[in-house]
Amino acid sequence: MKRPIARPVDAADQDTAKARAPRAFAPSDVQLSEAVFDTAASEGLVAPPPRRMTWWGRLLWTTGSILVSAGLGLAADRLIRDLFAANPWLGWLGLGVLALFLLAALALGIREFFALRRLHALDALRRDASRAVADNDQQLAHNITDHLTSIYASRPDLARARQTVTENLPHLFDGHEIVAMTERSLMAPLDARAKALTAASARRVALVTAVSPRALVDIAFVIYESVRLAGAIAALYGARPGFFGFWRLTGAVLTHLAVTGGLVLTDGIVEQLVGQGLAAKLSARLGEGVVNGLMTVRVGIAAMRVVRPLPFETQPQPVVRDFIPELTRLATDPTKP
Amino acid sequence: MPQPPTTIVDELGIALSNMADAATGAFTPTLRLGVTGLSRAGKTIFITALVHNLLTGGRMPGFAPLAEGRFIGARLAEYPDATIPRFAYEQHLETLTGKQPAWPEGTRRISQLRIVLKYQSRHWYNGLRGPSTLNLDIVDYPGEWLLDLPLLGLSFAEWSAEALERARRPSSIKEAGPVLALLDSIDPLKPANDPDAERLATAFTDYLRRSREDGALSTLPPGRFLLPGDLEGSPALTFAPLPPAMHSMRSDSLYAMLAGRFEAYKAQVVRPFFRDHFARLDRQVVLVDTLRALNAGPAAVADLETALTAVLACFRQGEANPLLRPFARRIDRILFAATKADHVHHTSHDRLGAILNRLVSSASKRARFSGADTRSLAIAGLRATREGTISDAGQTLPTLIGTPIAGEAMDGTTYDGITEIALFPGDLPERPDSLFEDGTPVSLNFLRFAPPQHLERNANGDVVLPHIRFDRALDYLIGDWLA
Repeated sequence: MKRPIARPVDAADQDTAKARAPRAFAPSDVQLSEAVFDTAASEGLVAPPPRRMTWWGRLLWTTGSILVSAGLGLAADRLIRDLFAANPWLGWLGLGVLALFLLAALALGIREFFALRRLHALDALRRDASRAVADNDQQLAHNITDHLTSIYASRPDLARARQTVTENLPHLFDGHEIVAMTERSLMAPLDARAKALTAASARRVALVTAVSPRALVDIAFVIYESVRLAGAIAALYGARPGFFGFWRLTGAVLTHLAVTGGLVLTDGIVEQLVGQGLAAKLSARLGEGVVNGLMTVRVGIAAMRVVRPLPFETQPQPVVRDFIPELTRLATDPTKP
Repeated sequence: MPQPPTTIVDELGIALSNMADAATGAFTPTLRLGVTGLSRAGKTIFITALVHNLLTGGRMPGFAPLAEGRFIGARLAEYPDATIPRFAYEQHLETLTGKQPAWPEGTRRISQLRIVLKYQSRHWYNGLRGPSTLNLDIVDYPGEWLLDLPLLGLSFAEWSAEALERARRPSSIKEAGPVLALLDSIDPLKPANDPDAERLATAFTDYLRRSREDGALSTLPPGRFLLPGDLEGSPALTFAPLPPAMHSMRSDSLYAMLAGRFEAYKAQVVRPFFRDHFARLDRQVVLVDTLRALNAGPAAVADLETALTAVLACFRQGEANPLLRPFARRIDRILFAATKADHVHHTSHDRLGAILNRLVSSASKRARFSGADTRSLAIAGLRATREGTISDAGQTLPTLIGTPIAGEAMDGTTYDGITEIALFPGDLPERPDSLFEDGTPVSLNFLRFAPPQHLERNANGDVVLPHIRFDRALDYLIGDWLA
């Protein structure tokens, strides 16, 4: 059995932490250690941008395209020589055709260039408009409105709207008010027509899906209809996309669908289920038709958001719910297109 | 202890009137818009512009119902209360837009107007029965009377102390000298007699009038002393502040008589005015003439702030409760508007807004605490100037182009009311607080401009009134009722 023992613990540590006396210093001697308040978004929250092509990849494409164009040039040269060798007038004809071909290619290229620039301009306008609204920048908003009226200057259907804008512009003093007025006058009629286009496309898709004999036909038709719809909406808002412009537009629409897919889904999930349930009770094909129609609606909404030159400030954002009545009406009454 | 501004009987009357309104308004709701502002704040212009723009569908891109094409039209209607004169809209419009445009004269009596608005609702359940209608009731009154509202919460002794303290300030000793001398010569405890009361009241009224004409002070109740209307010379208007009585007084003393008259003034003049026109409002716009106070200097600015805070404390503000609305109406939106924004360049509107926010900060804090929504804007109901720039000594100055009204003077030049000039009124201070500090030199000179000479006309031949942000003010005040 052990005896109880009490032993003092080492108190040396506690004695060293003496209370410090107050002192005052000149502020210039101080080394600032305050954390800098960073307003930029934290990096972890933003997805990294897609990786650019690597150096080797770029080399591959560059050299490949040089070889292909050299081959094409050589082939053309050889062809013309052969034609001249066969018969001089055949050679001249070939040369003329080649010249026309090059001219057409050049013209198309220039058109593509302008179409791409127009798409860029619409993008820039939307960004600027958001900034003008946030900063209440009158000058910027003024420029945006001028630019927009010049884009739509040749459109007879917007004559009245353009007049309203130019009449009201000198009497407004706030950036956000100018943008709101422009959106209300110029965008609202275009929005309504874009919605009508989307609804019509969705109805056609739903109808074709409901009556088509093969699944492949539906898919082909959905793709065809989506491409046509995106192009029509872009043209409506003044984008006039060409071939490359169209690729960019498609890419933007698909990205937008991927990014907002979840969002749009939650917005309309209940209605989608209801619509599908109701339609599916009548017929499985009709149910599929409604789902395909909704897909087209989403493409239309995404295209609107991508090409609309002003952000949705005063006008309501289009949502899937707006188009449900159109589709279910079709589903319940298939005789009416 | 502050007294409540109304009695139990008043409260019952207010609740009954609200119920009557709710019953008649079951089909056509009525929106009562309170246009509040001290004298010369621009109430009459605001109401005239409001009526004209609604009647003619003026140029108002920021007024959502009109911009969205849902606003169908408006017409003037008979006001239900037949004893009160109608707001002379046509006459005011004629003054503003006639051959010799001029600002209407100060309002001298109360007047009312009802506008019936027809619109298509955005909600499908309201749209089912076609276009909806809304009655908009507006009251115009002399701004001086508004200063009486804070009196409802004061007793005679409290009011006397306040008024005498103000009269003894060094800045007003010149105007208040005669009345203070007279007060010293009269013993408040001596038996009441009418000649003394009349002499006191006359001297006091003179003091009020002179301090208003010097323009330095805006907060001098009682307002009916300046604009008595039908009550001129009646006992309710024949009193004056008295120094507090030291000894217990007899009920037939002069003090007791004047105190009784003060109570009568409150009960029979101020309280009905409040009860009939301000206790049952839905929306309120507070017009503030910031520029006039800025011209007059720090004392006037501080005075304006006190007056606004005291006046606005009398209103019933707070969240509108849909269940209680048939019995108790509350002001759920208040717009603070710095009027005459056309007298500064638009690049200075932000600063004008900041000054306005500083002036009404305590009033708007109080309103927001009780649940009301507030906003402030720099507006002009009728824009009298155009804008331009001028380069002077290497500097580019933003200027206003307009015609100063006859008699306005700057740098020794007195204008005749015909010559058009370009004016740079000076920079508004970046920090609104500097206006309240003595000693900070603020070099500002805002000339008053005459109404515009040539006005556009729309397709129907109606005058289009140019304005600044008036459409947004209107949208904030009544836009959601037309949703």
